[in-house]
Amino acid sequence: MSTRWYPIYQRGNPQLRVFLPNFWMKLVKNEGKQQSNKVTFHCSMEMTKHDIKNYLEKIYNVPVAEVRTRIAMGRFRKDIGQGYVVKDDDVKFAYVTLPKDMKFEFPNIFEKKKGDSDDDMKSLDEAKKSFKNYIERNKDRSDVPSWFSI
Amino acid sequence: MYLMRVHRTFPKSRNLIHKRYAQVLQSDESEYTDTPEYPPILDLSLHARKKRERETVHKKIQEINTVEEKQIALNMPRYYGWRCVILNEDKVPYNALPLVQHYTRTCLKNLEKFPDIYLQTSSIADVVVQEIKSSIEESIAIENEGVEYNIVTNVDKPEKQQIENFKTRNIVKQINRIISNNLTDKVSHILSSQVDYDPRHEAFWFIGGVDVPNNVVNWRRKYKWLRDRAYEPLDRPVQYLGSPLLTIRNHLPLKPIVPYSEAENPEFNVPIFTYVPETVGYYSNFRHGTNIPGYWPGDFDEYGLLSYHGRGHILDRSESYGQEDNLEALHCQAIKSSFGWLLAQANYQGFTTFNDLTYPLVTQTVITNGHLISFYVYQLNTIAMHNDVLESNPKHNICFGTKPLALYDSIEDGKVKGLNEDVLKMLVQFYLNAPEEREHDMKPFLGKEEQVIADIEDDNRRCWLESRYKNIVANLPRHKLLPEIYLWEKIYKIKFNTRFFEAKRKPFEYDINPFKRRLDEHLPPYIPKVLRPYPRSRKKFETTYYPKV
Repeated sequence: MSTRWYPIYQRGNPQLRVFLPNFWMKLVKNEGKQQSNKVTFHCSMEMTKHDIKNYLEKIYNVPVAEVRTRIAMGRFRKDIGQGYVVKDDDVKFAYVTLPKDMKFEFPNIFEKKKGDSDDDMKSLDEAKKSFKNYIERNKDRSDVPSWFSI
Repeated sequence: MYLMRVHRTFPKSRNLIHKRYAQVLQSDESEYTDTPEYPPILDLSLHARKKRERETVHKKIQEINTVEEKQIALNMPRYYGWRCVILNEDKVPYNALPLVQHYTRTCLKNLEKFPDIYLQTSSIADVVVQEIKSSIEESIAIENEGVEYNIVTNVDKPEKQQIENFKTRNIVKQINRIISNNLTDKVSHILSSQVDYDPRHEAFWFIGGVDVPNNVVNWRRKYKWLRDRAYEPLDRPVQYLGSPLLTIRNHLPLKPIVPYSEAENPEFNVPIFTYVPETVGYYSNFRHGTNIPGYWPGDFDEYGLLSYHGRGHILDRSESYGQEDNLEALHCQAIKSSFGWLLAQANYQGFTTFNDLTYPLVTQTVITNGHLISFYVYQLNTIAMHNDVLESNPKHNICFGTKPLALYDSIEDGKVKGLNEDVLKMLVQFYLNAPEEREHDMKPFLGKEEQVIADIEDDNRRCWLESRYKNIVANLPRHKLLPEIYLWEKIYKIKFNTRFFEAKRKPFEYDINPFKRRLDEHLPPYIPKVLRPYPRSRKKFETTYYPKV
């Protein structure tokens, strides 16, 4: 990452070279059902289609057949507490098509391992039990705070 | 008498009461029969009622007499036009073949040699090729090196594409001239055929069995009664737009390549492609559905024989698509353009996307850039693909196609080197494929006397329909701006009701969707008082003659 501001290239501008520009791409799930060679990204606003293609091909060695981009307007919402209407930031979407023989499956990052849910239930039961014990112990002095003990 | 003056409706309501008594008295014995006759038991579920409603509309369209009225009837539900998926002839996104095949229900077969019906013309073709060979060589050489054109391009399409198509158009004109001049005294149908340059080909149909777009699902989820029907399938209107370089048409249709019964053969099954077309790269646009095969209804030569298309759009495709996808893009172009042209022709025979073809139609398509030529033969078997017939209609369309073949090797010193006679022979065979009279009724869904609006005797009705039809198919921009919701209205009026004290003016404030307006929901032209018939006429507005569907 550089501290250099990456200017949006307009036709006719001088072609600047910025090493390690502030480019990022975030893999997101496809909207609705799509073919298995389609991948959706959020990316930094300055990236053009060519940038996206080079980013994927040169850094990650992902072959790219086609890139389409769109800028989605951020959501409007009422500011909590203030009541003003505020707007979230816009997001640049990149719809990347891989070659047709390739397949992409969105990774399941938060995969539950076997036995995870049992452990969770066990600790929950223990917490419940200790809370019950605490109530039982202090039932004669209900208005005394919990830290007031020997 | 005093009672009569109470309210002006009173005398009417008195009549009503009288009538009711009269009805009771009229009952007689004739309403009884020996065996009880029950009305048919109908499924009264919402789904079934809606389906019956649609079927009556399809039936009504079928019963309309003239071609143009049928076309207006297709557009009746939408004042601002259908939101069509636009299939342009020369815009093929990456990996579009599955979508195109599904949207046209076309089975694509690679062609090693021509189907059997071309065999009988083989010997004549050999003779013709020898006769025209030198002229073809000469004209190709002149067009490529002998003439320098000043090509004017516009910004609508990529420059490379326009330049290549311009050059191709000239070569195609020359080749067509040479072949048809040679064949006029050998076969009869060439002389009687018409040649069109740059005709306008448009076709409109509904496609079922595709995913519901996301915005529709989200909209349906907002309403309680629609929530469990969020994924109910819907028909998507599709519009094909194309312009061949040159077409030849005749008053007789071509012979079918395979028997009509073969259309149901499961061997020709088409892969199903349900994904939303926007994900492939096609977009949609509001426009009236139009079916135009390059001439107006009522033209004598109404069956296409052959069409030439340019392949300039291949030059503008990204290199990352690869050669294989470029070949598929040519197949896509051929399928789209052949289907589009035949569908428009079928519409002029009185069939629509709701009333299926009863016989096959055939066309031949050539895609070329003057050097590479690919040949396609297309047989249209079915045009009904909407959701109601999706499962019950087993028919498929069939397209036979070749790879691009080189007509010659190179041009050196103003001479064509290595002219491929086999390719030229194939092209000549397309010309030699003679159309034939069919034994069945070609226009079963059109009227006996009135088939086009020009046959209508009533002057007012004919003139009105003529101008309305031309206006609809022109798809000109509207005089008044389309209804629009500004962004500030969306934020401060729709999302957050911060301006509740303001007067309501716009359609969205009254829960009206202007895009659901029907074509006839407008005030007809006003008749000024001086122009109304003498002595007194209360008719303020002119009559409209919209088809009743």
